[in-house]
Amino acid sequence: MKSVFNQIVENRMLFLLILFLILFVIFSVGVRGFFTFYNLTNMTQYGVELGLLALAEMLVILSGGGGIDLSVGSMLTLVAMVIGVLIGRAGLNPSLSIIIGILAGLGMGCVNGILVSYLRILPLIVTLASLYIYKSLALIVAVDPRFGPNPMPVSNFPENFYFVGQFRVGGIPFQVLFIFLPVILILYFLLEKHAFGRYLYGVGSNEKAALFSGISVTRVRLVVYTLAGLLSALSGWIITSRIASARPDIGLGYEMQAITIAVLGGVNIKGGEGTIGGVVLGVAIITLLYNGMQLAGIHQIWQLGSLGLVLVGSVFLNQLLLARRKF
Amino acid sequence: MNMSRGQFFRKREFTVLGLIVVLAIIFSLTTERFLSVSNLTNLLVQLAGTAISAIGMTMVIITGGIDVSVGSILGMSSVVAGKLLMANFPVVVILGAAIATGLLFGFFNGSLVAYGKIPPIIVTLGMLNIIRSLLFQLLGGRWISGVPPAIRVIGLGKWLGIPISMWIALILILFFTYFLNSRPLGRAIYAVGNNIEAARVSGVNLTRTILFVYALTGMLVGFAGLIYVARTGIVQTNTGTGFELEVIAAVVLGGTSILGGKGTIVGSLLGAFLVGIIKNGMVLLNVPALSEGLVIGALILISVVIDVVRARGERI
Repeated sequence: MKSVFNQIVENRMLFLLILFLILFVIFSVGVRGFFTFYNLTNMTQYGVELGLLALAEMLVILSGGGGIDLSVGSMLTLVAMVIGVLIGRAGLNPSLSIIIGILAGLGMGCVNGILVSYLRILPLIVTLASLYIYKSLALIVAVDPRFGPNPMPVSNFPENFYFVGQFRVGGIPFQVLFIFLPVILILYFLLEKHAFGRYLYGVGSNEKAALFSGISVTRVRLVVYTLAGLLSALSGWIITSRIASARPDIGLGYEMQAITIAVLGGVNIKGGEGTIGGVVLGVAIITLLYNGMQLAGIHQIWQLGSLGLVLVGSVFLNQLLLARRKF
Repeated sequence: MNMSRGQFFRKREFTVLGLIVVLAIIFSLTTERFLSVSNLTNLLVQLAGTAISAIGMTMVIITGGIDVSVGSILGMSSVVAGKLLMANFPVVVILGAAIATGLLFGFFNGSLVAYGKIPPIIVTLGMLNIIRSLLFQLLGGRWISGVPPAIRVIGLGKWLGIPISMWIALILILFFTYFLNSRPLGRAIYAVGNNIEAARVSGVNLTRTILFVYALTGMLVGFAGLIYVARTGIVQTNTGTGFELEVIAAVVLGGTSILGGKGTIVGSLLGAFLVGIIKNGMVLLNVPALSEGLVIGALILISVVIDVVRARGERI
């Protein structure tokens, strides 16, 4: 018994898996309408948008040096507005607009990365500043001069823009199969099989040692912040397509939720520690929790509260168990 | 405290002060209203809450921690104060309740960090969400408005031409600057942030010090919540959202190192002034409110880059 107990404490994945299963069983038994094919497949689409942002936070936090990205919500919003304005107001070709939007996300992430890695400014400060800047730019982009000086949402998209957020393949949402899963697989390959992963964990756990063993710390950090921009951009595109509207306040508060999920998934806030499997499980747990609570008729305002409880509770429990094990 | 002139000019406070002066000159030359009494009063009243909260946040960050739950705590204490005000409780009771609300959550944060050994960003990120949910529940989706005038003197009253809330902020800043520089617990806060192992070995009570900074921050933010109600007369479900970023921006702009061990409360006050003066000037210049974030963000970066260039690559 003792060894099983120890394993659960030490192995974050196992701990999360058990948490996931417990929630799944509780909701299946206790909540009507939860355990249906439609609901189980349908809810996965909500996990994608937050999930991409949580993966972005994972990469950035892993890189250490106080790594964090407070600007993901703002990047998402600006990308959504760029895509929306290009399609809905400028009448540009949707595919081209989406490409421009995603390039904008890459660019924003790259700017964060340059400031963090080359100018050596702390990530919290860089991304706090860019949170303000990108959010402000999104508001400015959203202004339609024909209708006065106020930012306005864009909702007149052509039908073919909705495929990524609203179509299904075999009952499973398109964005889960063709964006989220590939992203997970690519990141898994990058982190676990490719040299980049070793560099990233090296830089995150011991910057000096990584530097002396010939790893370019600046380049690794530049890459992860740029990737965070790319993932936020994908998320912005998907949300816009799903809700059929680009709104200048769409990504408000997402950064906190994304960081919460990454940390819940076992990413050490100090860097260098954490796995993609853990974060994906974290996404699954939160998606499940949101969905189950909604079906159970619990008011939406408790979603955030439960997110907070799960975060603090799971880390607290972990610490408690670890402390007890020492005796 | 005896530093040479060269040292002063190299300090972060000097950069920020310089920026404030330059901006003040620009705004007084380009707008007629900037130097008017009503505008300056308005500026100071809006600053007071941020400045008071920044006192606690400075100490938290000096210990190497962070508190992102202050926006939710501000909202919560506004709700408590607002509800009691509407029920016509005496001002003393309301003052006590607002501060106690903040203290309660601050103490809870501090306990989880100090005794639970959970990283501060995780504790306060969790509490940010939990407190916001509780607040929604308490308000039931409604607003509180039409607060009776008894309390509004804290928000709008003046003494010697300076708003009362700003007087309170200044007194608190003076007291806590003395406290941080000269009291044993104040020094312990720096010690914890500089080298926690060394602090422990030299007999600093780590848990007590850490608990103290979070509890104090809660209290101060609770008081800032009361000022908010007194100033605006309205409490909404989203009162205080994003406030944490404003306070952290002020503290960081003021030169407190996010890595801990370094920083001053006066610096944070200057940081709060800088953010406040930019917001104010932009309104007067009729710059669309949309670009406010653009300017604040750019200024945070500029002031930090100036420091980086000065320190020649030393990590700040």
